[in-house]
Amino acid sequence: MARAATTSDVFNAIAEPQRREILVLLRAGERPVTELAGELGMTQPRASKHLRVLRAVGLVRDRKAGRQRMYGLDARGLRPVHEWAGGFELFWNESFDRLDAYVQDLKQARQEE
Amino acid sequence: MSATGRGAPARSATADREIVISRVIDAPRELVFDAFTEVRHLSRWWGPDGFTTSTRAFEFRVGGEWDFVMHGPDGTDYAEWISWTEIVRPERIAMLHGESRGDPNAFESVVTFEPDGATTRIEMRTVFPTKELRNEAIEKYHAIEGGQQTLSSLASYAAELLGRGAEG
Repeated sequence: MARAATTSDVFNAIAEPQRREILVLLRAGERPVTELAGELGMTQPRASKHLRVLRAVGLVRDRKAGRQRMYGLDARGLRPVHEWAGGFELFWNESFDRLDAYVQDLKQARQEE
Repeated sequence: MSATGRGAPARSATADREIVISRVIDAPRELVFDAFTEVRHLSRWWGPDGFTTSTRAFEFRVGGEWDFVMHGPDGTDYAEWISWTEIVRPERIAMLHGESRGDPNAFESVVTFEPDGATTRIEMRTVFPTKELRNEAIEKYHAIEGGQQTLSSLASYAAELLGRGAEG
């Protein structure tokens, strides 16, 4: 896969199931870390660590709201995920898999001629 | 390393409305090129696993058309139309791709074939007229690839947010 390093960072970040759970929870709206930790049954430092990773790859952003910090989804970071899941690349990658297999058959057929 | 080898292409001015897909195929360039030029070849590999095509018309020349229907594994039919805009054997094929002749949302793909030793590197660069049309095509192909549910709920959420445009 010839892709920029930042793209693979996003995919690495969402390879971890607990981080995906955080993203799914954040779909409903902004949440403070205490609520996220409570809902997912993890310690607050662990939830904070995951949030830092998600923020570093641009999937989550935070803002200060009074005495607490609110975390929300950052759609921009999801763009490469969307494009990957979006199907166009998948369509052509699968077509090129079939092309490769077909060309191997052609090659063999021509050698036998 | 072949003399024609080169590094990753520089990020182009059209980067936000294009999609580039490449592949190295273990066969000589002429053979890989041939697989793009005849319907008996194209119909054997065009589309993901489980897809088939029915061709209504096919004429491989600049200005010629390939008018066909793509059948999905779930029975859904997709009208497809290709018209070639440039053919340089065995280096490059440029084509306009839409649903029918005159499709205002048709987009252009350029496929290049580069020899690398005994193998061939193909690169398909698709440039959409606008960023919005690129995103629409992604949506359309998402529908075609309906079986691929991986991360789809997050993906459609992202689409929704992105579609809403600038916020925050």
